[in-house]
Amino acid sequence: MASKLSPWGACRSLTIRTRSILQHGQRQTAVPFHIARRGLADNTTSRDPPPGSDGALPPSMTGQSSVQQSYTPPPPEQFAPNWLNADAIANLEKVAAGEDLYDEDVGLKFGKLDTLPGKNDHLQKRYPEVIDQVTKLLMRDGKLSKAQRDMSLILNFLRTSSAPKVSPLRPLLPGAPPAHTLPLNPVLYLTLAIDSVAPLLRVRNMKGMAGGGNALELPEPMAARQRRRVAVMWILDAVNKKKSKGSGRAMFAHRVAEEIISVIEGRSTVWDRRQNVHKLGTAARANLNHPALLAKRRK
Amino acid sequence: MATANCWRCLGRPSTHRLLAPSSLTSFKAPTSVAAFTTSATLLAKDDNSFSMKGHVRTGKRLVLGKKKKGRGDRSKPPGPGERKAFRKRIQLSNDNALKVSGLPELEAQKLVDPAAVGQIVSLPTDLVDQLRTVEAFKPTQNWGLFRSPHMLVRKDTVDFLGDLTKRVGNKETVRTVIGGERGVGKSMLGLQTMAAGFMNKMVVINIPEAQDLVEARTDYSPIPRTTPEQFSHPSYILKLMQAIRSANEEILSKEIVKLEHIHLPVSVSRNSSLASLANATKEPEFAWPIFNALWQELLQPGRPPIMFTLDGLSHIMRISDYRSPSFNLIHSHDLALIRLFVEALGGKTHFPNGAAIVGVTTKGNSLKVKSMDKALEQAAADQAGLPIPERDAFYAKYDERVFEALKGVKVFDVKSISKPEARSLMEYWAASGVLRMRVDEKTVSERWTLAGNGVLGELERASLYVSRL
Repeated sequence: MASKLSPWGACRSLTIRTRSILQHGQRQTAVPFHIARRGLADNTTSRDPPPGSDGALPPSMTGQSSVQQSYTPPPPEQFAPNWLNADAIANLEKVAAGEDLYDEDVGLKFGKLDTLPGKNDHLQKRYPEVIDQVTKLLMRDGKLSKAQRDMSLILNFLRTSSAPKVSPLRPLLPGAPPAHTLPLNPVLYLTLAIDSVAPLLRVRNMKGMAGGGNALELPEPMAARQRRRVAVMWILDAVNKKKSKGSGRAMFAHRVAEEIISVIEGRSTVWDRRQNVHKLGTAARANLNHPALLAKRRK
Repeated sequence: MATANCWRCLGRPSTHRLLAPSSLTSFKAPTSVAAFTTSATLLAKDDNSFSMKGHVRTGKRLVLGKKKKGRGDRSKPPGPGERKAFRKRIQLSNDNALKVSGLPELEAQKLVDPAAVGQIVSLPTDLVDQLRTVEAFKPTQNWGLFRSPHMLVRKDTVDFLGDLTKRVGNKETVRTVIGGERGVGKSMLGLQTMAAGFMNKMVVINIPEAQDLVEARTDYSPIPRTTPEQFSHPSYILKLMQAIRSANEEILSKEIVKLEHIHLPVSVSRNSSLASLANATKEPEFAWPIFNALWQELLQPGRPPIMFTLDGLSHIMRISDYRSPSFNLIHSHDLALIRLFVEALGGKTHFPNGAAIVGVTTKGNSLKVKSMDKALEQAAADQAGLPIPERDAFYAKYDERVFEALKGVKVFDVKSISKPEARSLMEYWAASGVLRMRVDEKTVSERWTLAGNGVLGELERASLYVSRL
C-alpha cells in the first residue's frame, strides 16, 4: 500500500487540458517552433495559412527564415478553474500538511462499512460460527440445503418452546443469561447448550507407551471448535436413539431441539458422557509424568 | 464356575461318558444319574449348555457374517393420525415472544379502507376461532412465532376486498382467481378474504387444501341417479359441514328452513334452523344429501351471501386419482363437491343474494395444468382489454371442462409489498422480539431488496430465520 503522504493520490484527480501538456515541450528550445504547433493537424477544418508565412508551403521548404525567431515562452497555463481542480488542490494541500487524504467517504456511493471486514472474513461467513458448524455436522450425503432447513427449524422450535428450567446439578457455563430469556435468542440458546456440555479435554492413547503393549492414556486439551464438534456428535448420537414420532420434514429438527432443551435442563445423557471423559482425563493426569513420556520429551 | 467334567470322577474326563445316561432319561430328573457324582449334571442347565444336539462348544464357535439380532424397539408406536397431526399442527401463539401493544383490532372497515394500508392489525379472538374452524391458517405460515395473530393490511388487500365487498353488497356474484408469484401472500389474501366474509356476515365455506379431494386420500362413493355419474366424499363432506356450521353458527341459526326436504334420509321440520340442518346427521353416508339440501337452502332469495373459497386451484383442474366402478379415472369435476365449486366459479350457479367465489392458486405445491394456465391468461387479457391469446395449436390435451370452469372469472394478481409496508411489518417483528436488529431505512431497504423487491414470503425468510429455510 502506498504511503499516506504520497501526493499521487491527489494528482489522480487533477484535470489538465491536453494542449497544455504539449506546450510543456516548448521549454526545450532545441525543438523547432512548427513541430510544437503540430497540434493544428488535429483540426480538420480548412483554414488560412498562418499570417507570417508565404503561400501554402511550410517555412522549411521555402528556404527562407531558417534562422529561428526569438522564442518567448507563453505564460504557464493555469489549471482550469473548475471544482475538480479545486478539490485536487485542496487534497494536495492536505497531503502537504501531513493529513490523511482518505478521511472522508469521498467517492463511496453507499458510505463506508461500519466494521471493516477482517483478514479471514468473506461472504460465505454470513452465519454465526456455531450455526455454521452445527449445520455442517447435521448434513448428510452432502445435502447442505436440507441441513440448513433443519437448522432453522431447530431454531424455530427453540424459539417457540417454553422457557427451560435449568437444573442446579448440571450448571451451565458461568455467565449464562437467565433461562427465561433464552427462547427469544435461539442462537444463544443453542450455543449455550453446546458449549456447556462440550468436554474440556480428550484422552489420547499413546500406543504401547505404557509398557507391555499397553497404551498410555494422556489427557489433552481441545480447541473450542473441536469441543463443540464432540458435543454435537454426542447430541446427535442421543437424537438418533430417539424414536421418530411424526412424519414430515420437521421431525428430525424436532428431536434435535428436544435434545438441546434436555441438555439445558440437565436431563440429557450427554452430560454423563462428558462426566466420564472428565473422570478419565483426571485419572490420566498421572500419566503426564510417565517415564516413557519424559524420555520421549528428552529426545 | 463348575467345570463340565467332574473333579472327583475316576474315569477319564469325557463328556460322552458323563452325559450319555442323563440324556437317555430326562434332564428333569437328574437324581436318576449315578449317585457317584453329584455336581456336574445337577448344576447343568436344563436346556442348552449340555444338550446333545450340535457340538458341545457350540456357543463358543466363531460365527462370521451374521448380524446380532437386535432386540427391536419396544416403545409404543405412534397412534393412528398422530404423525399427521404433528405435521399439520398449527400453533397460533408463542408465549416467549413479546407482546406488542397498541395495535388496532381488525374491523370490517379496516380491510377496505385505503388509509389503513400498511397497518398491522390484531385478529379478534372470535374471528381467530372462526378462521381456525374453516382451516384458513396454514401450517407453513409463521403464526407460531408471535404472541398473538396479527396481520398486515396491504394495498392488495384493500384493492381486492374493497371491490369484493362492494359488489357482494350489491348482490352481485364475484368470481375471482387469486394468482401471483410464489410466496407473495396468496393464501394470506385468501385468509383476509375469509375474515372479510365473516365480518360482513357472509356464510363462509372453505376448502383448505384442494388436493385432499383429488388425490384419493379420503373415501368416496358414487351418488345414485346421477348422469354422468358423480361421486361424493362422505366423511370429508361431513367434516366440512360441521366446520361450516360451527364457524357460521351465528348466521345459520337465525335462518329457517324454507324448502321441503322429503327426499332426505333424516326428517327436517320447516321451522328448524339451517344450523340444525347442517347438524342433522353424524352419518357419513347421509352427508352429501344433507349438504346439498343446505346448499339449496342457502341459494334461496333472502339468505345471507355466500363466500366459497378453495385453496390450490390447479389440483381440481385435472383428472383425479379416484376410479369409477368401471375402473376409469374420474375427472375432478365429476366429484360432487368440486363440481359445486366449479359451477359456481364458472358462473353456472345463480346466486340471488350475491356471492364471492374465490379460487386461490398455489405455486409451492402445484401442478402444471396447461389448460388452466391458458384459461387464466385469457381471462386476464380479457380483463385488461387486450387481445385474447390463442390456444397452442399443437397441444392436443386441452381440457374443455377447465375452460368452462374458468369462463369469465376475474384474475387478481397479488403483487409484492412496498417499502413502507415492509417497514411496518419489520417493526412489528422487531417489537415482538423475533427480529433482532435495528429497523431503519437502510435495513428495510436491504431486506426488501433481498426479498426479490418485496416478495412477502421471501422477506420472512430473509428476516425471521437465522439460517435459510
